[in-house]
Amino acid sequence: MGVGYAPAHHGELLQGVFEDEHGRLRRALVTLPMPERGSRAVFYPCQHHWGIVGTPELIKVRRAALLTLRELATHPAPAKGGQIEITSDVPHGLGMGSSTSDVTATIRAVADYHGVRLPREVEGRLAVRAECASDSIMIDDRVVLFAHRDGVVLEELGYRLPPLLVVGCNTQPGDRVDTLRFRPAEYHPDEVAAFRVLRAGIRRAIATGDVTLLGKVATASARINQRFLPKPVLDDLLAIGRRLGAAGVQVAHSGTVAGLIFDARRPDRQEVVAACREALTGLGLPITAVIRLDPDASTDWSTSGASTASDHSPRRTPADPREVAA
Amino acid sequence: MSLREGYVEATDAYQLPRLIRLAPNLYAACFTLMKMVPARYILRRAEQEGRLGPDTVIIETTSGTFGLALAMQAVHMRRRLILVSDPVIDDRLYRRLVDLGATVERVPPEAGAVPGGFQAARLARLAEIRAELPESFCPEQYTNPDNPRSYALVAELLVETLGQIDCVVGPVGSGGSMCGTVTNLRSVLPDCQAIGVDTFGSILFGQPDGPRELRGLGMSMFPRNLDRRVFDDVHWCSATAAYRATRQLHQRHGLFMGPTSGAAYLVGRWWAQENPGALTVVMMPDEGYRYQDTVYHDQWLTDRGHLPFTLPERPTEVEHPIPVDSGWACMRWGRRSYQEVMGTSPALVTGEAGA
Repeated sequence: MGVGYAPAHHGELLQGVFEDEHGRLRRALVTLPMPERGSRAVFYPCQHHWGIVGTPELIKVRRAALLTLRELATHPAPAKGGQIEITSDVPHGLGMGSSTSDVTATIRAVADYHGVRLPREVEGRLAVRAECASDSIMIDDRVVLFAHRDGVVLEELGYRLPPLLVVGCNTQPGDRVDTLRFRPAEYHPDEVAAFRVLRAGIRRAIATGDVTLLGKVATASARINQRFLPKPVLDDLLAIGRRLGAAGVQVAHSGTVAGLIFDARRPDRQEVVAACREALTGLGLPITAVIRLDPDASTDWSTSGASTASDHSPRRTPADPREVAA
Repeated sequence: MSLREGYVEATDAYQLPRLIRLAPNLYAACFTLMKMVPARYILRRAEQEGRLGPDTVIIETTSGTFGLALAMQAVHMRRRLILVSDPVIDDRLYRRLVDLGATVERVPPEAGAVPGGFQAARLARLAEIRAELPESFCPEQYTNPDNPRSYALVAELLVETLGQIDCVVGPVGSGGSMCGTVTNLRSVLPDCQAIGVDTFGSILFGQPDGPRELRGLGMSMFPRNLDRRVFDDVHWCSATAAYRATRQLHQRHGLFMGPTSGAAYLVGRWWAQENPGALTVVMMPDEGYRYQDTVYHDQWLTDRGHLPFTLPERPTEVEHPIPVDSGWACMRWGRRSYQEVMGTSPALVTGEAGA
């Protein structure tokens, strides 16, 4: 058998259309990864049947497994087919990349069985082919502007995000976005022009570790997205952000989650997180995450009460094992 | 870090400004030919969208630097270009345009005597020529929204290089550069302030129409691309004040720029001194070569009464757009429309920045 794991994400920091190296406009995004949650896939090979079959809701996972098998067809001992088992604690339909983490974990599990680690760009390309559009959680060693419908990296923005602290919530509890049926945004030429500036902003923010600028870019992207998949509470989130000194607000551009972005280096971060949780809960918005992306982070979260454990099932507990039988 | 590469087209190299630090909180965005930004963008976008076919003739009325920028881009795109200009077009500019392959049509001198003047005569001639051409494309810098939109390129450079920008100061003519740069900057930096630099006798921000010696900014008509709601403050500069600042920019910083850059420098330098905690960027649209026999010539300045320079160090603050004796006035515009400030609405017609 082979095993693979892939993290979730919490929507995007930036999403829009951007020029590639040939000046062609492509849809692309910068993902906000959420390492605390993810999907684990186990691949059980089968040498009697070609292909992978299973229940309809895991169609993307089956497609990903088949695409990976095809990618590895020249391997000396390729599996003929097999069965995938998924264990995930990523909520569905909120724009947190549940299907992308399932798909990526699957690609990794099939590769793992073959004793291979596929390059991250190949994982990205396979994931996009399996599910039409995909965030870039598989590219976990750097920050990229990722063409999520083409599966290619438009620009490498840096090795890591600035030290962010994101308090996330579900802006429309009860509502779900069908990622596949959701029509891609048709941007106005003025918005296409603005995306050039947003791209420059995120480029600088990541290169210089500037959380303030990153927050402004994320807020601008969230505002543009209001024309396409509006978050009715965006203004409320911005008001909370102003009160608590947040750098900005990020949203899932094809989902319902959103988050307030803070500088993780703030000395009062624990108080701010507590106040933010209280404010969001006061609006009736369930907390989805407290993400801390900080290379210098100490372990103060385990005692601060700010971990997500109280809101959701414990991490990586196989709460929802979904199986695909061969 | 990516390696620097050579430019494929000269117009690409020409359109990007250099950002030069004049003080810890003051930067100049120095262009060789700022009008290249909209000219290149408008023509390339028209081509991409099929509005500018291989046999389409580009035609525009201009006697200024926008025509020069169009002529350069037309060379790269291998298109014919016809420019309809005043009878008095700068001779060196004329020769350069012709060398670039442009056809320059000059309306007759007597056209200036009829109502509407040269502007009306040029527009009439433009319509005549277009009627005879099977396929033509007019860039229309005063009304085409691609003009302001093109300046996202400049906003992009500013944000990447400086991150936080608190104020942009620049001369206003068509409105494209200031409105485009600031509007795009505000997508990321919504609090960024905008200060427009105009001249007495220009009606853009409500001054009474009158003779204008300082060219390249201000207008006697209202261009649709000027959105006055972008501007926090407006300054009016006399020619003398602009010329003096142009020379100071050269003497103190080695920057050899034209007089509209000098006018913007005068205002930007003052604003940066008044606001030491804010980062200010000054737009400087062209270089000094065209003005070597004028602004950079002391005898010429003396003959015109610009020397010796005697000017105040700060602008006269006014409540309403009126000429002032000091040669430098400013007014809190407050991102209002013309109607909100003046009580009447401007007639929207295209105009010509002169120069």
